[in-house]
Amino acid sequence: MSAIQIKKYRSIANRSLQNVLAYRTSYVINFLANAVNLLAIYFLWQGIYSGRAEVGGYSWDQMKTYLLVTFLANSVLSWYSETSISGKILDGSVAVDLLKPIDFQTARFSETLGASLLEGGMSAILLILFASFLSGITLPHSLFVYVLFALSLLGAILVKFGVVYLAALLCFWSTGSMGIVWTRIAVTNLLSGALVPLAFFPDWLERLALWLPFQSIIHTPTMIFLQQTGTMESLKLIGLQAFWGIALWIAGKGMWNWAVRQVTIHGG
Amino acid sequence: MRVSRMFYLYRRLYVQQLKAILEYNKDFYILMCSAALTQVLGFVFLWVIYDRIPDINGWQFWEVTFMYAMIFVTEGVGSLFFEGTWRMGRLVNMGEMDRYLLRPVPVVLQVFCTGIGINGLGNLLIGGVIIWQSLVHGHIHWTLGKISIILLLLLTAVIIRVSINLAANSAAFWIKNAGNAFPLMVHNLADLAKYPLTLFPQAIRVFVSTVLPYAFISFYPATYVFGKSEWSGWWMLAPVAALGSAAAAYGIFRFGLSRYESTGN
Repeated sequence: MSAIQIKKYRSIANRSLQNVLAYRTSYVINFLANAVNLLAIYFLWQGIYSGRAEVGGYSWDQMKTYLLVTFLANSVLSWYSETSISGKILDGSVAVDLLKPIDFQTARFSETLGASLLEGGMSAILLILFASFLSGITLPHSLFVYVLFALSLLGAILVKFGVVYLAALLCFWSTGSMGIVWTRIAVTNLLSGALVPLAFFPDWLERLALWLPFQSIIHTPTMIFLQQTGTMESLKLIGLQAFWGIALWIAGKGMWNWAVRQVTIHGG
Repeated sequence: MRVSRMFYLYRRLYVQQLKAILEYNKDFYILMCSAALTQVLGFVFLWVIYDRIPDINGWQFWEVTFMYAMIFVTEGVGSLFFEGTWRMGRLVNMGEMDRYLLRPVPVVLQVFCTGIGINGLGNLLIGGVIIWQSLVHGHIHWTLGKISIILLLLLTAVIIRVSINLAANSAAFWIKNAGNAFPLMVHNLADLAKYPLTLFPQAIRVFVSTVLPYAFISFYPATYVFGKSEWSGWWMLAPVAALGSAAAAYGIFRFGLSRYESTGN
């Protein structure tokens, strides 16, 4: 990609970052809503661990860390980017995008990345504050693990974007987005390990989840941060993320080419 | 206005909305299935945990699923019959409330009928099955009194849920901003009532029993249904909570309406 091309998409990313800043109240409220959810889940797990040293191979300290990392990985790609893609398709403004000399998929990815940068950064700061009140969070000691963790978060964004993008394109065939978004969230939450670590699943379900792309979103970053994998294993997991990211990207491209021929534009 | 006339108007307005959504029937099925799926996966979550441990703080599997399902069922009734509350932001910001104010029909009734959330049907269906299964597995000694009290608690649960929705969405009169982040946050606080109240610190227990009485939808009915002796009698406060929240919600709505400026285009 030439320098001009990159500049184009960088300015799109920048725009979406400013957009998040402009609508900061709804971002903050959204973040608080997620925090409430975290709180509920935190106390539920505390209850589960009362009187038990470990459940499903996780100690309570590890589980606390797991919950925080999950929260971080979930909040780097927000509700905002989710609805903005399908919104474009539903209200017909995708017609304008078809006229622009910009690749639709790359442009949306730049937008997502721009918003993710800010949202992820803010979540990280708040989480560090929150974590300092909790005792027993297991932090990795080597710097290398943090590097791997940052890489796996990037991989998670790539894979999650792939899933979100494919789901959003489905809106070419429907007239509303809520049903598709809810389904996407429910399936991703379960199969990525956002609700419970995959190790808790019965054997067949765990194996199924590991075969699907969703595990790259939460399972991989948490495994690396909790150091439940060796260096080689971690690199392999990151490679798997890259594989899924690229595969979903190509699938998205194929689906887009097919879907734009279905486009019906209402409005006026 | 007489109550029978209110029901008549409600039915007429509702049927009109129903015709509108049946027009887009693909969406109809997608929404219904997605709501059902979300709920089933939440159930799977509890099942996976209880597969490893026998109880959480003394609470058995079917007792927790009952609380969980009560939150979803009341949400289902809310979206199926009172979805209009969620459209209030739009009504206020676009100035569409003008139309409602001119008609000789109570405004709150018209707001309720501004839309139908067909996803509620999925919630009702799956939630109903989970509640039924919970009651079957709960070793309950059935009497006529018990059945009528459970029905009463279901009714109060719905009233509380709808009242909280109405009150939270009335924020649209004050927050001049498209989108409904604030009511969504209030809605999400119901997560705190999906699980036994005893898991939470005192402050949260008081909060979901008084300010936002979500606990009267799920937890207190569960203590009655499954005969938890240390909480006996608490369910009697549910009708009080229902009346209180309904009155407060209507008051907030009326107060907001008096501030309505009819901006828009």
